[in-house]
Amino acid sequence: MSDLDRAIEQLRACRLIPESQVRELCYKARELLIEEGNVVSVDAPVTICGDIHGQFHDLMELFRVGGDVPDTNYLFMGDFVDRGFYSLESFLLLLCLKVRYPDRMTLIRGNHESRQITTVYGFYDECIRKYGSANVWRYCCEVFDYLALGAIVLGASSELEPTASSANDTTQSTMPIDDGELETEVLNSHGEVTMSTYRPRLRSSSNISTDSRNISPPRDISAAPGQPGMPVRSGAPGTGASADGNGSATTSRTGAVLCVHGGLSPVIDSVDKIRLIDRKQEVPHEGAMCDLLWSDPDEIEGWGLSPRGAGFLFGGDIVKQFNHINGLSLVARAHQLVMEGYKEMFDGGIVTVWSAPNYCYRCGNVAAILELGEDTSSGGTVSRSNGDYGRSNGILGGDAANRVVSPGRRYRVFEAAAQDTRGMPAKKPVADYFLVS
Amino acid sequence: MAAPHIPNLNTLRRGRIRGRGASRAGEDHGSRTSGKDRVVQGTDNDASVSRLSAVELGYLDDPYAAALTPPGSATRRLPIINRGTYVRTTAIDQLVARFLGPYSPESQAPKKQIISLGAGSDTRIFRLLSSRNPPDFVYHEIDFAVNTTAKICAIRSAPPLQCALGIDSSNNEVTVSEAADALHSPSCHIHPVDLRSLSANSPSPETLPGVEKGLPTLLISECCLVYLSPSEADQVVSFFSQHLLDSVDDTTSKASEGSEPTSQPKTPLGLVLYEPIRPNDPFGRTMVSNLAARGIQLQTLHRYASLEAQRTRFREHGLENGQAAADIDFIWEQWVSEEEKERVAGLEMLDEIEEWQLLARHYCVAWGWRDRDEVSAFKGWKDLQAQAGE
Repeated sequence: MSDLDRAIEQLRACRLIPESQVRELCYKARELLIEEGNVVSVDAPVTICGDIHGQFHDLMELFRVGGDVPDTNYLFMGDFVDRGFYSLESFLLLLCLKVRYPDRMTLIRGNHESRQITTVYGFYDECIRKYGSANVWRYCCEVFDYLALGAIVLGASSELEPTASSANDTTQSTMPIDDGELETEVLNSHGEVTMSTYRPRLRSSSNISTDSRNISPPRDISAAPGQPGMPVRSGAPGTGASADGNGSATTSRTGAVLCVHGGLSPVIDSVDKIRLIDRKQEVPHEGAMCDLLWSDPDEIEGWGLSPRGAGFLFGGDIVKQFNHINGLSLVARAHQLVMEGYKEMFDGGIVTVWSAPNYCYRCGNVAAILELGEDTSSGGTVSRSNGDYGRSNGILGGDAANRVVSPGRRYRVFEAAAQDTRGMPAKKPVADYFLVS
Repeated sequence: MAAPHIPNLNTLRRGRIRGRGASRAGEDHGSRTSGKDRVVQGTDNDASVSRLSAVELGYLDDPYAAALTPPGSATRRLPIINRGTYVRTTAIDQLVARFLGPYSPESQAPKKQIISLGAGSDTRIFRLLSSRNPPDFVYHEIDFAVNTTAKICAIRSAPPLQCALGIDSSNNEVTVSEAADALHSPSCHIHPVDLRSLSANSPSPETLPGVEKGLPTLLISECCLVYLSPSEADQVVSFFSQHLLDSVDDTTSKASEGSEPTSQPKTPLGLVLYEPIRPNDPFGRTMVSNLAARGIQLQTLHRYASLEAQRTRFREHGLENGQAAADIDFIWEQWVSEEEKERVAGLEMLDEIEEWQLLARHYCVAWGWRDRDEVSAFKGWKDLQAQAGE
């Protein structure tokens, strides 16, 4: 067993590794990350995760629900640290997994991966407390500076494979299956389907407003292996995950998915502009890089001032235009607590994924991860539908000629790890609530 | 920037300290009750630490915060907690200021009195005395003897506090009880009283010396009554509204021969509450269970679970002239000026907007009053913006 595997095992048990090992790990991680572009290309299938915030035991629950590494290909959209009690264990474990399985683990930067924010929100204090000095904090912050700013998911299927557990659902097999495709499915942590939506199968005969190119189920994904700019992941450490796609996303019938921690920026109108940022620095207070990590979608038109004091608010028109220009079908982002774990906005053009259940051990929310399936392109999949349940309007409306089909989305919703069985502290920090006798 | 809330993993692994909570439940009833009181008394420490954090970061201007925070316990709170402390403090300051009215040292304005329930280490009395000197009000603080003793001890060791109270060597108007748990001065009284002992039967003049039944009175409960059982909390409010302050003055009522006792004009009385609300949504349920894990039970929380329930509560206590409530999020949005919001937002980067709103919507300030036309002690409250709905 290698040192790295031992470290992974130790961290999985929520035990820290020695400072010297952290230093080595951070050095290796930086070497790996420096090769990655600002926007990492990731092939579906992939499981997209939002904020973790040092909730180590909930991260373990996430792996239980979403599958272990390297069996599942993960993309974490930042905010690994701060707020929770175990930022170090959580971040170091993710970093170990990144170094061990670089092409099965993508980490992008959140606004908390910053020197300034971590000194206010707990990670700095935790490093001092657990290692006795700021050295480990410094090593980690140097890694933060090299994290990618976003990721593009290519080759996602428009249609979900039925979940294994859906075999229990007898309606699935008895209902007609020829009139729609499973677009969204929500599962609880036991793998039971709690909600599903279907979109009508696109046929020229049944939908005259649809451009003929959209007739067939989108199985002919163009982002096929071997295309220029589409690296085939070999699995060799440090090689696979790094090369950038080169606009190939725009030709995909199932639009690509842009993953970013916060959101869009008024000074960025294309994914390629993100690639031009010099990212290897502390998160600035303003500008493109700041906005990507800080902005939020909101029910407004155009751009608005953010109440966070950094980044901007952006409306549905902005998202629609950005997706259209860049051939995207979806922006996946994190950054905002949503009580239900995920929240789609603007006709499914953007989704917030939040992966810290019972945030700060206080908020009472559930968490979610988003699975995007692989387009098999072989026609081997059988769509499932009960025909009349929750017809989706998830297709971006309007200009049919430029329509890209949104990927099938499977949300796995989960609750906080049970405190009693995980050695969680029974006492909560006193600052959690405002109290006075 | 110590972070005592981050547990030491080593002790967690070895210690298995979880058993402690379970054994507490097994104790006999008597010690459990006093244990619960101790937990409630301990929450005052949280409050003073939070206040000092907000003061040191520039949210609040309070020269007395440091002197009333236990030495060595200063901790920087999270930005949302600091903002919450700021909103709650300034909201109640505003209610108090509007009750006292404009200050003018020359005018012999009719005096008013403020009674702070479970005042703990609160600094409001010192801030008021320093800004309205000579004072045009009488201030009473009521708390467990253990808390009043600590406060008097703090006063004794902090010249700025003594100065605010007007204590100097030549001044013999200030008296401290032998047990050092009660303090009386012309404008400030600290009473070592368990609120649950206040009832219609208790001999009020001895229990709360210095309380004048004819003075327009403001009762303040900052997270105090919520710890009592619903009937105890009712009893405390009724003690003041029905018993102690039931009439303006005994002599005047006797002078008006033949008048029915029920027609006696009541002393103008206002009640300001600051407490958690909305315990029944996911955040609220988590709050209840987290506090329970700390041994804290907010006993009236479910009874007064909404803004409307708080308004109804005032009506039931005969505070018929006005009943209003607003959650902390609303007060931040509506009461704080844009300029001040910008100043406060600039103090610390508050990243967690959603969490702030979630937290702030689970605390409310509620205010209700009864008045007399010729006194109109609470007219300043009428144009305060309240929140409609639940």
